[in-house]
Amino acid sequence: MTTIQHMPISALQAQCECIIRSLGSDNKTAQRLAQMGILPGTHLHIIRVAPLGGTIEVSGNQGQNFALRQQEIAAMTCEPVAMPLTSELVIVGQTYRIRTLMGGKTFCQRMERSGMEEKERLQIQRTSTKLISVYLVDLNRQVELGGGEAKKIIIEVISNEPNR
Amino acid sequence: MNQTAKFYTIALAAIPNSGKTTLFNRLTGASQATGNWPGVSIEQKSGNFALGEYNITLIDLPGAYSLSPVTEEERIVRNYFLQSPPDIILNILDARNLYRGLGLTLQMALSGLPMAVAVNMIDEARRQGISFDLKVLSQHLGVPVIELSARTGEGIPDLKQDLYEVIKHPEKTRSPHISCPPLLEKAFIEITEAINQSGIDTRLDHTFLAMRLLEEDEQEQLINNDKVATLVQQWYRRLKQSLKTSVPVACANCRFNAARGLAMEVLHDQPVFEDQLTKQLDCILLHRFFGLPIFFLLMFLLFQGVYGLGAPLQELFSTGFEIAGNWLAGLALSLSWPIWLQSFLFDGLWQGISVVTSFFPIIALFFLFMSLIEDSGYMARAAFLMDRLMHWLGLDGKAFITILLGYGCNVPAIMGTRILTSSYSRILTMLLIPFTLCTARLQIFVFLTALFFSPLIAPWIILSLYVCSFGAVIIIGLILKLFRIGGSPEPFIMEIPPYRLPTLHSIGLRTWYELKDFFFRAATLIVAGVLIVWLLIHMPADVPPGSAATWAGQLGHMLEPVFYPLGIDWQETVALIFGFIAKEIVVGGLAVIYGGSDLAGQMSSHITPLQSISFMLFCLLYTPCIATIATIWSESRSIKITLLSLVSGLGIAWITSFVFYQSGLLFGFH
Repeated sequence: MTTIQHMPISALQAQCECIIRSLGSDNKTAQRLAQMGILPGTHLHIIRVAPLGGTIEVSGNQGQNFALRQQEIAAMTCEPVAMPLTSELVIVGQTYRIRTLMGGKTFCQRMERSGMEEKERLQIQRTSTKLISVYLVDLNRQVELGGGEAKKIIIEVISNEPNR
Repeated sequence: MNQTAKFYTIALAAIPNSGKTTLFNRLTGASQATGNWPGVSIEQKSGNFALGEYNITLIDLPGAYSLSPVTEEERIVRNYFLQSPPDIILNILDARNLYRGLGLTLQMALSGLPMAVAVNMIDEARRQGISFDLKVLSQHLGVPVIELSARTGEGIPDLKQDLYEVIKHPEKTRSPHISCPPLLEKAFIEITEAINQSGIDTRLDHTFLAMRLLEEDEQEQLINNDKVATLVQQWYRRLKQSLKTSVPVACANCRFNAARGLAMEVLHDQPVFEDQLTKQLDCILLHRFFGLPIFFLLMFLLFQGVYGLGAPLQELFSTGFEIAGNWLAGLALSLSWPIWLQSFLFDGLWQGISVVTSFFPIIALFFLFMSLIEDSGYMARAAFLMDRLMHWLGLDGKAFITILLGYGCNVPAIMGTRILTSSYSRILTMLLIPFTLCTARLQIFVFLTALFFSPLIAPWIILSLYVCSFGAVIIIGLILKLFRIGGSPEPFIMEIPPYRLPTLHSIGLRTWYELKDFFFRAATLIVAGVLIVWLLIHMPADVPPGSAATWAGQLGHMLEPVFYPLGIDWQETVALIFGFIAKEIVVGGLAVIYGGSDLAGQMSSHITPLQSISFMLFCLLYTPCIATIATIWSESRSIKITLLSLVSGLGIAWITSFVFYQSGLLFGFH
């Protein structure tokens, strides 16, 4: 199950990825994006947020790198496809798949020991500011993650799969 | 196309960041002419080169993503194509990413005009392991496609050969096919039919014209045929309802679907988009914590590079001019030319020319470093880092750099507004730069604060003046934003190009052209301005220059009621008139006006510290110098903007000094 929505600005963080469903109201921004080949169906991957915030660098799936303001993406309707585990877009109880682990070598090894590997499916059971508990569907295992760890785990939405 | 004519116009059209300028330079070399597109502050460049027996004028169109305009630049390109189609189109694609540019290429290929496509940056694409079959692209587009690298010069002879062939055999090209939703297709067919029947005389393909008309909001301006216009409007409304998106977006969708397919067919392997070096550099240069400190460090180096190196050179130039001037003056004296003529020649004309040339070193260094930053790709990063801050003033991040450089000298900074992407931010920035505290103003402040304040307080006064200048830039920025001067802002969507190594050739050429440009566009105005001020100070001929009896002195007395509330006497008013030439000569001007040997003593007995600050505030905010005004005029080509800058500077300076001086008096200072 996926949701098509206006992405809240606070969810537009680095490593978040979404598919544009509609460019939103017919303004200059929408026109400009369309003329650059950023059209409905384009995957947008947020590379980074500017140090002062407000502006983000994104890349489209045809290799266009560009900067724009968060509010301009928020005005479009987008379907989130990947996000950090800590993102507010994550829905408790839904099944996701781990896409990448963003940390260093030791971090990856530690995660792998607890079964958090790429392609592994998981469900978020409970989130709090400090501890996030996830349930690894295939291993039938419960894992507690710190907020700092969870931030480095990028998960992707699984579509058309039974929500177990 | 006229077969016998030997003169041909080729229009160079491409999306931004595809190496357009480099190719333009490569083809035209040193034969460029710059001007402005009619009515706007957007530069028009053209150059000449020979192709066999043909003389080619190459017109460099502004960067545009499509012929359906969003920005002012794109409107120019659209109008150019519809109103005065070139003989041949030269389009550029970026070899590293064909998809980006193919939308525009497809639009142009549909136009029915003879065309050639240059696939640029082939060397860099090869390094990234990209290989493709350009025959397929050529077949699809129906035009010759040449791979080249404008940077290294590879493939340029092939391009020239192909362009030559296109001129020799200008048979109508076969247009590429773009599939659209059936309803859109039907609209195109019907409108094309109407255009066929209307008997409109155009070299453009009628289907292309139909597409252009349907994607426009302002069709009436593009075609003066009521029947066609009505039909277009009917279809426009109908399509808008049934397509669920706007017509231009729907058309863009069709184009880019075709572009995606085409790019996939042409490329041998899966495209590689990532440039590892760029990725790694960005990790450092755009880092969350280190990004800004590195940026400020680079800005510091830039500032030091331009002005640290520029100031001594400037000194050298003006000393040279002084020596040469003195020598010539001695010659004139020995020939016993009339005194007024000597004064006119050496205090007026020579002074004017020396003001013009004194800008040469800093303008050269400015554009040397600016091109380095721009061509390397760091400019886009700087804009990204500073965007949040500048957005607040309604500007984009690149404006930060030009305003910052205004703190050295306003003239190159205003010339530098050309790097800004929209004419909106260009005009806004141009109006803000004159409020920066340039080094010439600093000279006055250093002299006066040392005179009126203890060494302990003086630096704080100068610091406060800097704060004042920042404040003025921010407040006036907000006011200009509020009143929408310069039109409406354009959307901020900025491509972040991969890093590239700039070439000496392009940097050198750019610097040379900027210098030439400055000389031809602004020099006459600067010299004229200096001469006017000379007249004011030296007329009538029989009184000592700068004294109360001269026109300037009389003007000073006349303006006394205006400046009295600011605590500025007629002597300082005359010095302010001197200041129009350049702020560097204000202190020297004061010496002439007071006419004694002990300027410091005379001034400190004549003026109170409060009055001196009021005077400095006025100096900070009013018109920086004639050269700045001349540059604003030559960059904006708008009398309105130039006058606005002049009037706003004087008005704001008066109000600020008035409020400061009067409240100072109220609080019991004197």
